[in-house]
Amino acid sequence: MTKTILEVIDLKKHFTSRKGIFSSFRERQSIPAVDGASFYLKENETVGLVGESGCGKTTIGRTIVRLEKPTSGKIIFDGKDITNVPTGDLRQLRGQMQMIFQDLDAALNPKMRIRDILREAINVHHKISDAETDKRIAGLLEQVNLKKSKLGNYPQELSGGEKRRVGVARVLSVGAKFIVADEPTSALDVSIQAQVVNLFRDLQKELGLSYLFISHDLRVVELISRKVAVMYLGKIVEMGLADRIANKAIHPYTHILWSSLVEKQSTEVTRNVRPAQAGSWGVFDFERPVAGCRFAPRCPVYESHGKPAVCIDPSSEPQLLDIGDGHKVACHFPL
Amino acid sequence: MTTTPLLRVEDLRTYFYSQSKRAFIRSVDGVGLSIAKGETLGIVGESGSGKSITALSVMGLISAGPGVISGRIEFTTNGVKKELLQDLGTYVKVANKENRIMEIDKDVLGWERNVERVMHGVRGKEIAMIFQNPKSSLNPFTTVGDQITEAIQLHTPVKSEQEARERAIDWLDRVKIDSPRLRYDNHPYSLSGGMCQRAMIAMALACEPQLLIADEPTTGLDATIQAKIADLLAELKAELGITTMLISHDISIISRLSDSVAVMYGGTVVENGPAKTVLAVAQEAKHPYTTALLASIPSAKNVTDKGYLQAIEGDVLDTINIPEGCRFYGRCVRVTDKISDSCEHREPDLREIGPGHRARCWLYFDPV
Repeated sequence: MTKTILEVIDLKKHFTSRKGIFSSFRERQSIPAVDGASFYLKENETVGLVGESGCGKTTIGRTIVRLEKPTSGKIIFDGKDITNVPTGDLRQLRGQMQMIFQDLDAALNPKMRIRDILREAINVHHKISDAETDKRIAGLLEQVNLKKSKLGNYPQELSGGEKRRVGVARVLSVGAKFIVADEPTSALDVSIQAQVVNLFRDLQKELGLSYLFISHDLRVVELISRKVAVMYLGKIVEMGLADRIANKAIHPYTHILWSSLVEKQSTEVTRNVRPAQAGSWGVFDFERPVAGCRFAPRCPVYESHGKPAVCIDPSSEPQLLDIGDGHKVACHFPL
Repeated sequence: MTTTPLLRVEDLRTYFYSQSKRAFIRSVDGVGLSIAKGETLGIVGESGSGKSITALSVMGLISAGPGVISGRIEFTTNGVKKELLQDLGTYVKVANKENRIMEIDKDVLGWERNVERVMHGVRGKEIAMIFQNPKSSLNPFTTVGDQITEAIQLHTPVKSEQEARERAIDWLDRVKIDSPRLRYDNHPYSLSGGMCQRAMIAMALACEPQLLIADEPTTGLDATIQAKIADLLAELKAELGITTMLISHDISIISRLSDSVAVMYGGTVVENGPAKTVLAVAQEAKHPYTTALLASIPSAKNVTDKGYLQAIEGDVLDTINIPEGCRFYGRCVRVTDKISDSCEHREPDLREIGPGHRARCWLYFDPV
């Protein structure tokens, strides 16, 4: 029975903004970036987190590794409640949970050579000799398939795929077993994406790693994850085994998301739903108060059912319900 | 009567000089392609293949040195042929020395002035371009509406601001931006990536160009928005019959929108032909790079029985050290003993391997 390495319970992260881009006349406004997410991850497992820009997936990742302070809810890592761990104790925690960042130009210090970036990561968490450190670095490079000659380079001299591999090496150098990977394959060429995906797979097997794989690339998530959680505007709307989510999705949003893969034609017979159409495509409008189901304004099922009141009634916001085999969905009219 | 293609590029070379490496980066190293009126040509390639630089060379937007050093770009509209690289020879002198080292002497400033003269009245008006990263390609200080209006006044006979404004709003509507009158007054930062991209498309098409060059129009946008932009481009293509050069590393977009496809690698075209032929996985005769590219796309079909994706080993060609032979040699898995010597030492030329289908590979013709 594999143990659960991470459990997130009703996690919320609200950002407060004073004024400005949201042209509301209120002084302060709360942006519910993550509004009650719950899921768990077992050892040696990959859970994928998907959704469009602005849905909160990166925020969940950052909150789990405590780069953001949770507003409410619980984060339980390896059996311990780390939700309110004081900042002084975070360093020790980070020896076990790490994050690979999306923007490597921002995450790799442009003034440091690769060798120094990796040395720094090791030295922060392990008190070992220089010779031992260099040996470890050599081992890491081999693991991520990076040429030794790159050690003397600066990050800007590396290609996108190589920078990504440095990000992975850095995370591995710490020795963490749980990794939050934020968009690890975005902005990479297709053949390099394939290399990175294979690398993740190899490392997981070799080192027993657990990944929270955050991405908007549905195809890659489908391939690499065991379970997938779909987020929309701060909430998880559907969750289940990867194959189920990709092929037998029952939340209208999930279905639209997957059938929008340009080449892929949805072969599912969907009752009452026009293929891959959603309502208006504006920016997520936090000014408009969201009452009830957040997806209702764009939901084709809501339309086709004659706009039922239950969908937009704030007291009957759809909750994540288990419908069997670990498949959960938050919807009043699942497909 | 043979129809002249709208755009014909022949043996284009665009090089950049690297001070630190003391060598030329051969971004575009002998590219030839042609687009017929009404056709969409998809250019597929990965980073460093030279596809964006090809587009920028056509538009005369290369500013680093030496830039374009040879080639012809013939743009024919209404029976009138215009050579966009005219007089290039008077500004550039190329000398080939031993060991394939080149010496290039170019009057960069003079050439730039010449390009401005030649491209004036072409850029924006006859050939329009839309770029990747829509948010950073639009002017952040003016509203999107004003930017479109400005373009209309500059490039079309419509000079009155009132009329240009109406046309801009009409185009915002045509690219399916909601509340076009309100959005007219938004700055790019108030719009999402997808909306900015639509605004750019509106700006490009409002001037009714003969040719639209779209450089990675969907990269960086969310999956659902990518599909919407693809839908939009398909609709506009059907409605306006606009000739398009579509550049992308996303093969699904290319296969959806293109009539013909050119695959680029290491600064050259390695395969071209009808989209259905070049991008069909089932099609046997193909350049090995195209085959490998199609096989590496993350999808359920491409996963091996051990659960791996078929990545192409090695890194994309570094266009400073161009090898003697085939540029894909070293990463190619289809080299046979019979041709390996040729692959290593002689670069194949682009030759026909099927009706309208050409590839640059020794597998398909006798190296002798």
